[in-house]
Amino acid sequence: MNDLLVIVEIAGRRAALRTSEVQSVVELEAISAVPRAPHFVLGLAPLRSNTLTVIDAAAAIGLAPHGQPDAGTRAVIVDHAGHRYALVVDAIDDVAEALSEPNRVPGDAGADWERVSEGLIETDRGPALLISLSALVAGPPGVPA
Amino acid sequence: MDDLLAEFLAETREMMTALGGELVAWEANPSDRARLDAIFRFVHTVKGNCGFFDFPRLESLSHAAEDALAEVRAGRRSASPRLVTAVLAIVDRIGAMVDAIEAGEELPSKGDEVLVAALEPDSGDNDDIVADCSDGPSARSANPANGAQRSIRLPTGLLDGVMSSVSDLVLARNDLARRMRDAGVDPTVQGPFERLSTILDQVREAVTRMRMQRIEHLFGALPRLVRDLSAELGKQVMIDLEGGDVELDREMIEMIRDPLTHIIRNAIDHGIERPSHRLAAGKREIGTLHIAARQSGNRIIIAISDDGRGIDGARLVDKAVAAGTITRADGDALDHGGRNALIFEPGLSTAEAVTAVSGRGVGMDVVRANIERVGGSIEVTSVAGQGTSILLSLPLTLSIIPSLTVGAGGQLFAMPRSYVEEIVHGGAGHIEFARAGDAMLVTVRGKRVACLSLATQLGLAAPIRPEDSTLVLMRLASGDLFALAVDRIFDHEELVIKPLAPAIMGTGIYAGSTLLDDGNPVLMLDIAGIARKAKLIGDVQKRVRSVEEAAEVHERRGPPALLFVGLDGARKVVRLGAIRRIERIAASCVDLASDPPRAVIGDALFPLAGTEAGELPHEQVSVLRLGDGESEIAYAIDRILDTVELSGDIAPARGNGISEGTTLIEGIPAEVIDTHWLFASFAAPPRSLDAPLCRLPVDDPWARTILAPLIESAGYRIVDDGFEGTADVTIATEAGGTCGDDGAVITLCADPDHAAHLPGALYRYDRAGLVAALAAIRSGKAA
Repeated sequence: MNDLLVIVEIAGRRAALRTSEVQSVVELEAISAVPRAPHFVLGLAPLRSNTLTVIDAAAAIGLAPHGQPDAGTRAVIVDHAGHRYALVVDAIDDVAEALSEPNRVPGDAGADWERVSEGLIETDRGPALLISLSALVAGPPGVPA
Repeated sequence: MDDLLAEFLAETREMMTALGGELVAWEANPSDRARLDAIFRFVHTVKGNCGFFDFPRLESLSHAAEDALAEVRAGRRSASPRLVTAVLAIVDRIGAMVDAIEAGEELPSKGDEVLVAALEPDSGDNDDIVADCSDGPSARSANPANGAQRSIRLPTGLLDGVMSSVSDLVLARNDLARRMRDAGVDPTVQGPFERLSTILDQVREAVTRMRMQRIEHLFGALPRLVRDLSAELGKQVMIDLEGGDVELDREMIEMIRDPLTHIIRNAIDHGIERPSHRLAAGKREIGTLHIAARQSGNRIIIAISDDGRGIDGARLVDKAVAAGTITRADGDALDHGGRNALIFEPGLSTAEAVTAVSGRGVGMDVVRANIERVGGSIEVTSVAGQGTSILLSLPLTLSIIPSLTVGAGGQLFAMPRSYVEEIVHGGAGHIEFARAGDAMLVTVRGKRVACLSLATQLGLAAPIRPEDSTLVLMRLASGDLFALAVDRIFDHEELVIKPLAPAIMGTGIYAGSTLLDDGNPVLMLDIAGIARKAKLIGDVQKRVRSVEEAAEVHERRGPPALLFVGLDGARKVVRLGAIRRIERIAASCVDLASDPPRAVIGDALFPLAGTEAGELPHEQVSVLRLGDGESEIAYAIDRILDTVELSGDIAPARGNGISEGTTLIEGIPAEVIDTHWLFASFAAPPRSLDAPLCRLPVDDPWARTILAPLIESAGYRIVDDGFEGTADVTIATEAGGTCGDDGAVITLCADPDHAAHLPGALYRYDRAGLVAALAAIRSGKAA
């Protein structure tokens, strides 16, 4: 088990994404708002002739939203189910090696984190919650469409 | 290992597919050496491969076939029809086994021995030697497989991938083009780029064609469906398919598969009667379901008609009333078409009993929603007792949509052009807004329809006043109209639409997104979705239809008039009846220097009034187009205030002029435009077809270049000396001399003194005299 992980910070917590799921990290330019979209969708952004759906990772988990990023903010580009997303996170740390399988979090991580997380994974940069993309991009349950 | 196995299966299947035609050809001509070789290669490869894997049965089968074929190839045995059949059976069996292996199922039950035994030569073989297999080159080259057009099989996923890459290429090209424009690239780069661009367009067209599929693929499954359904329901139905060669985007075929199936179920379940009922009604025992596809412009029309009992409109109305969808009064007011359209309302059905086949009749609303989702429309016509016909109209492709880009709340959106019926400015004279509770209604030429503000629907800040907005009249697939108020219209564009992430699709108001040439993403609106959100679909019957006829404008006491502010800043009114249209034109289209001033509207030149006082706005000018039935003039205004009634007295103006008088409108005086005076002074006299003729000497250049325009402006048509008929007036000049003796003659002299002495002669620059003389002759002709 030596998966590589991208370590990011979401709402002040360390979280990890599998590098196999991460396309790249880019600086976001202008974001076009999508009226009436769920609040965790910040809008659409162009990337090399593709359209990205910009997701506020914290809000998508169900935590306090990060809010509109400034121009030039770096975001993690991920592909999921044929769509390309840009995840806006607090910080993008580094690529780290996974040192364990994802395990159950000892104690209570909180329902929101539990929903989007596949478990706690040990990395050479410390423990992080492994994010499940499908749960993340689906947004918190019960969000009015 | 799994990879190897998958490769083996794929290779085997590929060979079998390629072999399909060879087998049939071999069957027709067993002596064909080329075919024999191909089949031998196949069984040989299969044998070799399955020895590597552990498929003993496959191996023994292919081994047996290989042996038999090797005998034939060596000329020791002939290819008898019996052998052909046996080999074909083995090839089929191999196919079945490959399927089973791939699906991870048990291999088909035993019976291989029989197949292998069938390969054994028997005595009969020697009798029916078909031909010598090691024939000369003539047999070898006979019927080669490379016909005029070879086709290959491709996985559809690959095709979709290519299509999406090409779409991306187009977007990347647009992006590059924009950057090149911004950066001002060297012309030597521009040339190759243009070429690249052209080639890319060709590739895109070709790929679009590649994705086209004959609608046969959809039709193919229908006879079986109809057979099964009619057997289940105890009915006899014959299906008649037409236009299977019509081509449709593959994706579109998938999208309409379910709706089409549903319509057919409905037709057989509810439409076509039982045989006994049909006989009693004097029809043929067997019902007919006719499905026809045809291409009409860039749309595909699919008609599904049955000769069943038709839709019982009255029953539908009863049901709809019972279900609370419409009121009894509304139902009674519906016409035939309106009643039939009720089948698209949720939860209505005329089926007496709930059946397993078409359920409770829920579904036609879903069918309609699905068809609308792909930009299509659905219509139903029905004659009681004679049948029902459902018409689907679909766009050719899903991926490139002709669109209209609009602005709302400071943002750009796109909408499919197929919905757009008409675009009118909210400030136009024939538009009236009314509020009914929270709903906004708008009356456009006597039709009152719901008016939605796009900005409000999208929750964007501060929608502008409806009067200042542009109204896009949308016709929904059901035929219902509604108006969508947008801030402004930008452009018509062909957009490559891409799907949106599920989180955004979940809003139900977007159909996709695209990147514009400037590199910004723009959202494609789902018009039907917006209408549904605003509750315009579903209970449309009571909301929209019933008010359409009742929308006669409330009674007025005086003639309607338009209140506006002129360019001079004064309030003015003009009778509505005189207004043809209201237009906005660029200030550059106005020529103030000419007399009268003129404006270019569309591609015609109009005299322009209203410009006496005041500067023109810098960019755009609003103009009223006034018409008197024959000619039109334009009147420049600053802005429109309102439509009002001319109820009060008009205090007449003293002088003759543009002002007819002054009236009070809401207590404030306004100048009433005298349209009679306007037309008298501005409109050019209409050129009648039988204009009087004026003969000019052909050899006098002065007459042709300097005099002719004056005569034409006096309403004459110019003819020259060669004209055979009778001219109404002939101009004679000293230079040209007199010619022709018909009608009146005006002689023009270069010397004023000379003209004074000569009767009927005029000095050639005596403009007033000449015009008067021409007018006198003209009125004499008219009288």
